[in-house]
Amino acid sequence: MPERTIRVQYYALLREQAGRSDETLTTGASNARELYAELSTRYPFTLPAEMLRVAINAEFGEWSQPLEAGDAVVFIPPVAGG
Amino acid sequence: MKAFEFSNVVLDTAALQDEMRDVTCGGFAAFEGWVRNHNEGLEVTRLEYEAFAELAEKEGARIVEEARVKFGVTRAACVHRVGSLALGDVAVWVGVSAAHRDEAFRACRYIIDEVKHRLPIWKKEHYVNGDSGWVNCERCAMPAAHTHEHHEHHHEHAPIHTPDYSRQIALREVGAEGQARLRGASVLVVGAGGLGVPVLQYLAGAGVGRIGIVDADRLEPSNLHRQTWYALADCGREKSTLAAQRVQALNPEVRVESHALRLDNGNAERLAAGHDLILDCSDNFATKFLLNDLALRIRKPVLFASVYQYEGQLQLVRGDDATACLRCVWPEATRDGLVGNCAEAGVLGPVPGVFGSLQALEALKILLGLPGLTANEMLIFDLVSLNTQRLRARRAADCDAHRRAGAVVATPAPPELELTFATLAEAQAAGYTFIDVRDARERAEEPLPAPALNLPMSKLLSDAATLDADLRYLLVCATGKRSAAAANLLRSQGLRECRSLRGGIRGLKATA
Repeated sequence: MPERTIRVQYYALLREQAGRSDETLTTGASNARELYAELSTRYPFTLPAEMLRVAINAEFGEWSQPLEAGDAVVFIPPVAGG
Repeated sequence: MKAFEFSNVVLDTAALQDEMRDVTCGGFAAFEGWVRNHNEGLEVTRLEYEAFAELAEKEGARIVEEARVKFGVTRAACVHRVGSLALGDVAVWVGVSAAHRDEAFRACRYIIDEVKHRLPIWKKEHYVNGDSGWVNCERCAMPAAHTHEHHEHHHEHAPIHTPDYSRQIALREVGAEGQARLRGASVLVVGAGGLGVPVLQYLAGAGVGRIGIVDADRLEPSNLHRQTWYALADCGREKSTLAAQRVQALNPEVRVESHALRLDNGNAERLAAGHDLILDCSDNFATKFLLNDLALRIRKPVLFASVYQYEGQLQLVRGDDATACLRCVWPEATRDGLVGNCAEAGVLGPVPGVFGSLQALEALKILLGLPGLTANEMLIFDLVSLNTQRLRARRAADCDAHRRAGAVVATPAPPELELTFATLAEAQAAGYTFIDVRDARERAEEPLPAPALNLPMSKLLSDAATLDADLRYLLVCATGKRSAAAANLLRSQGLRECRSLRGGIRGLKATA
C-alpha cells in the first residue's frame, strides 16, 4: 500500500492518551480502521475503535472508508460531561 | 384565611397560629416583626404603616405561594399591619406549617425577607423629639445602606421593577413578535448543573414563558467552580429547587416548575408533556440516550450538549424519521463508565459555561425560527486550540432507535445486567464463568480469588469473538462500574448472557 500524508485530530480521552490534539503523518493504512490500529501501537489508546466515531473531511464516515492523500481524519469518542 | 392580607387592627397571633394547624405537619415556624423604640439613634414613640394595597396584596400573595412551592410547605400565610401602631405591637406576622422543621424555618425566612424587599410598604416613624420620617421598608431590610435622610411625608412609591426585553426586541430578527413567541414557549431543561446554569439564566432572562427543571442532585461544594449561580451556603439543597428560585428571582414572569428526580422511562413522557423543546444538560449517557429515544417517540426536538475537560459537543436531534439521532452517530454500546465524566476526568469551569451558553443561544434561535445548528451535524469545539468543527452526520439506515420508535411492538426486556453475590464461590455455583476486566496492574495488586478470563477493557471487543455465546459470563472489576459497561458492550456483540458483579470486588469485601 503506498504511503500517504494524512492529517489526524484527536478529541477528549484520545487527545489525552495521544498527548496531542493533532498531527500530520505519513501512513500506509488504507482505511480509518487500519490507521487507528496503527496509532494504537504508538499511543496507549484504551478505547476500541467500536466505541469511537471517525470523521473524514468533516463528515462522519465508516471505518472501512478508503483514505486518500490529504484527508483530514478526526477520531471522536462520545462524551457526556455536564 | 388569605395567603397575604393587611390588617388595620391589632393582630391576634394566637388565632393566626390556630389557622396554621394541620395534622400532617410536624413543625410550625412563625416570625413576628415588632415596633421597637429606636431607629438609628432616634427614639421612636409610635409608627404608622401605609401600603400601596392593591399592588402589595397581589405581590404578597405571590411571595407566599412561591415559598409554599419552593419549600414544599403545607400552609403559609402573612399578615401585615397598616395604620397606627404603638411600641411593642406586632407589625408583621408570618406563619408556616410543614411536615418538617427545616422547610418551615426556611419558608418563613423567605417570606419575611421577600416581603421586606418587594412590597410597597412605608412606615412613618414618630420620634420623641416631635419629628417624624417616612422609611421605605425595603431600606429597613438593608441596614448597611441606611442613611439618616428621612424625607418628610415621602409618598412617592418605590419603583417595582418589571422585566424589560427592549435590548433583544431591538433586534430586527426578534421584535415584538419574537418576544411574544418566547413568552408563549415552553422549554424543559434536564440537568441544572454546569450546562444547565447558563441555559436557565439566559432562557429566564430572555422571557421564555415556561421552564421545567429536572435534576435529582443536591448541590455540592465541588460543583461551584462551574455552577457559579449558586452559593456555598446552598450546598446540600436540591439543585432543582435552587435553580427554580434563581429563575424566579431573575424573572418573576417565567412560570417555572422544578422536579427533584432522575429522568427515567417511567416519568420522561409526563415531564416532557407540554414543552416545545428539551435541552439535555445532563452529565451521563443513560439520560442522554433516554432523551434521544424519547425525542423519536414523541417527535420533539432535543438539543444535546456534553463537555469533557476543555472541549464539548453539541447536537440537535429533531426526533423525526429523516434526520440523525444520537444513536445514528454513536454505537449502541456507548455507556457510562467508559469515558470519564466531569468528576472523573476534570473540567475547567468556563467550559460547560461556554457550551451551556451555546445551548441557550441555539434554543432561542430555534424558538425564534433563526438559522443555526442543523439536525444532521455535530458541532465540536476545542477550547484549548479554540478550533470549531461542524461534522456532517447522516440518519443511519440501520439505526435501532429510529427502528424502535417506529415499531409498534415493544422489544422484550433484556435479562438483568447486574447481579449481587456475597462470594465468588456463590456465583460459580450459579454457573457463571468469570471475566476480569481490570488491567494487568490492578490484577497484580489484587488478584481475583477464583479462576477467570483476563479481558481488559481495551481488548474487550477485539477478543469478544473468542467468547462462547452459550456460556453465562459474570464480568468483574474493582467497583462494578466498568464491568457493567463491559457487559453491555458484550451484549451488543450478541452475548446476551453477560452480567456484571454489582459493587465489584470491593462490594464482595464489604459483605464478607
